[in-house]
Amino acid sequence: MIKAILVFNNHGKPRLTKFYHYFSEDMQQQIVKETFQLVSKRDDNVCNFLEGGSLIGGSDYKLIYRHYATLYFVFCVDSSESELGILDLIQVFVETLDKCFENVCELDLIFHVDKVHYILNELVMGGMVLETNMTEILTRIEDQNKLEKQEAGITAAPARAVSAVKNMNIPQQIKDMKLPDLPQAIKDLKF
Amino acid sequence: MALKKVKGNFERMFDKNLTDLVRGIRNNKENEAKYIAQCMEDIKQELRQDNLSVKSNAIAKLTYLQMLGYDISWAGFNIIEVMSSNKFTLKRIGYLAASQSFHCDSELLMLTTNMIRKELNSQNQYEAGLALTSLSCYISTDLARDLSNDILTLLSSTKPYIRKKAVLMMYKVFLKYPDALRPAFPRLKEKLEDPDPGVQSAAVNVVCELARKNPKNYLSLAPVFFKLMTTSTNNWMLIKIIKLFGALTPLEPRLGKKLIEPLTNLIHSTSAMSLLYECINTVIAVLISISSGMPNHAASIQLCVQKLRILIEDSDQNLKYLGLLAMSKILKTHPKSVQAHKDLILQCLEDKDESIRLRALDLLYGM
Repeated sequence: MIKAILVFNNHGKPRLTKFYHYFSEDMQQQIVKETFQLVSKRDDNVCNFLEGGSLIGGSDYKLIYRHYATLYFVFCVDSSESELGILDLIQVFVETLDKCFENVCELDLIFHVDKVHYILNELVMGGMVLETNMTEILTRIEDQNKLEKQEAGITAAPARAVSAVKNMNIPQQIKDMKLPDLPQAIKDLKF
Repeated sequence: MALKKVKGNFERMFDKNLTDLVRGIRNNKENEAKYIAQCMEDIKQELRQDNLSVKSNAIAKLTYLQMLGYDISWAGFNIIEVMSSNKFTLKRIGYLAASQSFHCDSELLMLTTNMIRKELNSQNQYEAGLALTSLSCYISTDLARDLSNDILTLLSSTKPYIRKKAVLMMYKVFLKYPDALRPAFPRLKEKLEDPDPGVQSAAVNVVCELARKNPKNYLSLAPVFFKLMTTSTNNWMLIKIIKLFGALTPLEPRLGKKLIEPLTNLIHSTSAMSLLYECINTVIAVLISISSGMPNHAASIQLCVQKLRILIEDSDQNLKYLGLLAMSKILKTHPKSVQAHKDLILQCLEDKDESIRLRALDLLYGM
């Protein structure tokens, strides 16, 4: 079973946190911090397995991680999982992200962590490996993206216009604009 | 009145979405806590609106803030509202938020039973999929008991995607509501022979987890697994089965004797390191459980130790680590075979990798 999946950058900032056991938010932050400390002090040419930290618990747990450029992908697993298998799975996860985001980089994870979660949900469910075949995973993601597009449809046009407007940085005044009070007679009109 | 509504809609268009929130936080590094506090206020405002799109946007932002360490359980009821949307896009946001912040003792879980049941029976496999995935993160004893039959029914869905998820979900149900196991087990067993390889793999996964806790009860499945092992080419599934056999052989040495040959064949034929390693591990487990009387006993031990030496000598640190890990299992019952390689292990004590030094030390301590 997988107990947690953590993605954080070279400074320890969390980019994705998925816990398959309940921990309070404070505990979760501590776990991320401790995991970062354990993993970041390792050279790049040592093995990818770390006997688990004290927080995430217990001698049956290992940290299996991969370091890609500015990001660490860490899976905390128990002895029912194959170490090399999980290492492969991390690779599948990252390659899937690469296909979905077209040459994925940290910024993609920063701004679209929700999409990353949806992708991860096609690989791991409730701490158990769901699917390891990339073709199958990508098909499922594509299907759901289509559903999203269909629902957005024509109603997405205003949303896109709004995004464009936001990017123009229209001053706050428009939001604070006070509309004049209408004469009572008009206010009383019922439509 | 109408103008107020127009102004309201106008304001809504300037609500921050997730991207805006993330950008805003990055642009306010100096006063992050204060900025986020303001965003929280905005979110609370948005959650008071009737419009589900607006609420969903707020929940999406809250999910992000949860990752930064903020407790969002106060918005539980709103999360459930968003989960109940009839739009996939919005529903998905709700289910994700639930999986990140609900837990099995959350009181509001009982409000979700009927909604989840409805979702599980949806015509749209992705909606049912959303519910299953989310539920697997926080299922409680009550939910397990109430939904166990619905999930069991999904094992017969025409969609392999659903069958696969339902199979894994059953394991979570068993954990919270053990009474469900006995009646469900025959159905689960059938899935070991499901035509879809993904579903088969999921079933193997679940049975392996169950067997880890209670190996005795699953010995009877050994023939089924044996057949799967000799016919499947799915490495993930093979690994799970072979690990399972490793756990079963102490209970049934005759099983072990039957396994030596196919496992040895796999060791010689597979190109997947992950599979090779697990085969070696299980052969070791078999040889440990069989005290003697096997003609090729010594030869098999030698083969394993030989293969492990190759792993330990490899420049790949991962293989080195795993080789040392497996050696320590042989040490207990066949110390002489391992002694022969003391030189190699001593070398590993000097390795720059702390994990490797730890394994080497562990081994030497046992010698």
